[in-house]
Amino acid sequence: VKVLDWLQARTGFRDARRVLLDEELPPGTGWFFTLGSVLLALLGVQILTGAFLTLTYAPTPDHAYDSIRYIISTTPGRIVRGLHHYGSSFIVIAVVLHMLRVVAFGSYKSPREATWLSGLALFGLILAFSLTGYLLPWDQRAYWATVVTINIAKLTPLAGEFVAGILRGGATIGALTLTRWYSVHVIFLPLGLIALVVLHLVLMRRHGISGPVRARDGVPQAFYPWQAARDTAVVSVVLTVLAAFAWNGAPPLEAPADPSDATYVPRPEWYFLGLFQLLKYFPGKWEVFGAMVVPGLAALFLVLLPWIDRGPERHPRKRLAVMSVVAAFFIAVAALTALGWRDSPSNRVTSSWTLREIGGRAFVEAAGCARCHAPTGIADPLEQASTSRGPEWLAGHVIDPEMIAPGLREPPPPRRDEREVAAMVAYVQRLSRQPFIPVSSELQVAGKIFARYCVGCHKLDGDGGTEGPDLSAAGSKRDRDTLRRLIADPVSVNSDAEMPAFAKRLTPQELDAIAAYLAAKK
Amino acid sequence: VAIDRRRALALFVNSAVAVIGGALTTVLGAFALRPPRAAAGERWVRAAALDDLTPNTPVPRVLVLSRANGWYRERARETVFVVWDGDKSLHALSATCTHLGCQVRWDPKATNFRCPCHGGVFDASGNVVAGPPPRPLDRIEARLDDTGTNVLVRV
Repeated sequence: VKVLDWLQARTGFRDARRVLLDEELPPGTGWFFTLGSVLLALLGVQILTGAFLTLTYAPTPDHAYDSIRYIISTTPGRIVRGLHHYGSSFIVIAVVLHMLRVVAFGSYKSPREATWLSGLALFGLILAFSLTGYLLPWDQRAYWATVVTINIAKLTPLAGEFVAGILRGGATIGALTLTRWYSVHVIFLPLGLIALVVLHLVLMRRHGISGPVRARDGVPQAFYPWQAARDTAVVSVVLTVLAAFAWNGAPPLEAPADPSDATYVPRPEWYFLGLFQLLKYFPGKWEVFGAMVVPGLAALFLVLLPWIDRGPERHPRKRLAVMSVVAAFFIAVAALTALGWRDSPSNRVTSSWTLREIGGRAFVEAAGCARCHAPTGIADPLEQASTSRGPEWLAGHVIDPEMIAPGLREPPPPRRDEREVAAMVAYVQRLSRQPFIPVSSELQVAGKIFARYCVGCHKLDGDGGTEGPDLSAAGSKRDRDTLRRLIADPVSVNSDAEMPAFAKRLTPQELDAIAAYLAAKK
Repeated sequence: VAIDRRRALALFVNSAVAVIGGALTTVLGAFALRPPRAAAGERWVRAAALDDLTPNTPVPRVLVLSRANGWYRERARETVFVVWDGDKSLHALSATCTHLGCQVRWDPKATNFRCPCHGGVFDASGNVVAGPPPRPLDRIEARLDDTGTNVLVRV
């Protein structure tokens, strides 16, 4: 106690406590007024988890993806990234609820217009956080969403290319974009955020909390512990739900960013889906309306709200005009988001392994890759092998490990069969995102046969050549014995068949395995 | 009664803050302070061909070692001196001075290792002759491979 008294004499810390906690709140301040504290807590979690993630994250195209994979390879890392990932969604939801509360209670009215404006600026900053953070994992989702973002920025009248250049940092989206967005995400935006949060709170304290829409009788109560208990209760619930979401980590990483992939369908974070959907209604040269004018007008409406909705009346039932406009606005955004959700297919990879990948595993095992690619070996374990260098690099390495990783002792023999190599690459790429579930030896045999022969002409579950028929539902037309005969000697089943006979190339067991697999595809 | 209610609420707020802070501290601490993943086990690495060696003279060889450092696999370079008596006896000495980690050099005239940093001197077997080093140079196991032409060291 003596030490504390000395500290009080020298610093006056007890006065700070009084200023921070003993604010008198108007009677009737209740549960609706806890949302600001929820936001403060969520922002605190973001800042903490974000700061800790930078301990291990590397903002370069070569390492960003691998460093995040490394982070989520341990339980604490998985949880920390999960908190940061889901925290951003929680913040957006809390911001919207906080804004709706302020609108419904008319809390932006004189003299609190500046508080409202600083809140809107904070909302803008939070969306900027989300956009910049989305790129950092450098997977397909991150890369292609950023391509779309920067192309939208290009629609800026007169200065489109200039703005896009600032966002890109370089001629294309690459290393310079990643360092730039990283720096903005972890230095510039947080500084702005902290400054604006302080301003928002100072303004809130200066004018006092707005309180219930009709002043009530009673004595003002101190913030601590009366309102603080309500805040703490709601914050505890919200953080518990957030922890439940984060427990299993963020959604899995997609494949590493691949600018050459023409098939990827970009999909933004869910709270941008409304804006994304809006663009679809403004084709061609009208696009700038969907991208800038409509959102700009909406933002302008929010900025002007305290001057549109003047007068001291705060009760929502006495402000029906404003309330209905805001409700329509909110419903429109929600509807656009729902439509966008329905319209944009998610690129969720199928959870089951494809037959080619299963075959690739059989080749990888036969080639003895695990002799070096093991936890105690001279190369990365296969599960952690870097796939961010792209499929060509992997194929080159599989074909001739010595060439691409010189200095190996006892290099394994080069491999020549390009279909086997392709299957091995497919397996390793998949393995980097999802652990392998052991399969029966018959399925492994079928995988090898498919990956070595069938895949050249036939598609199966979206993977393979197009010369022959798609095999994804082969079993619905023919039974197992017919399929076996068809593969062994196609002409015996279908006199027009162009497929070569495989009776001599495959053993009876191999024919059985592939026919059984295909017969089960219905 | 009001005082009790006030106390109870304060207790609730303070303990909730402690629980939330404790949970965050635990998970963030476990994330930041977790021990690095166990290093790869020791293994035999080729250091030289037997033809490269000179009997009774330590020969510096640079090993290129593949080491995992988090998500990054680095090709670390490390110098060892291979010592061979021209017959059966074969071992290697680490080039890292046991004082503060500078790299020692072999002085063929004086037939000793000298550390350029603080004047440590080691004899040809790695024993301290002069200067501040607290212990001899680290000894590394070495052997010939099955063909009898390559020198392997255990690192």
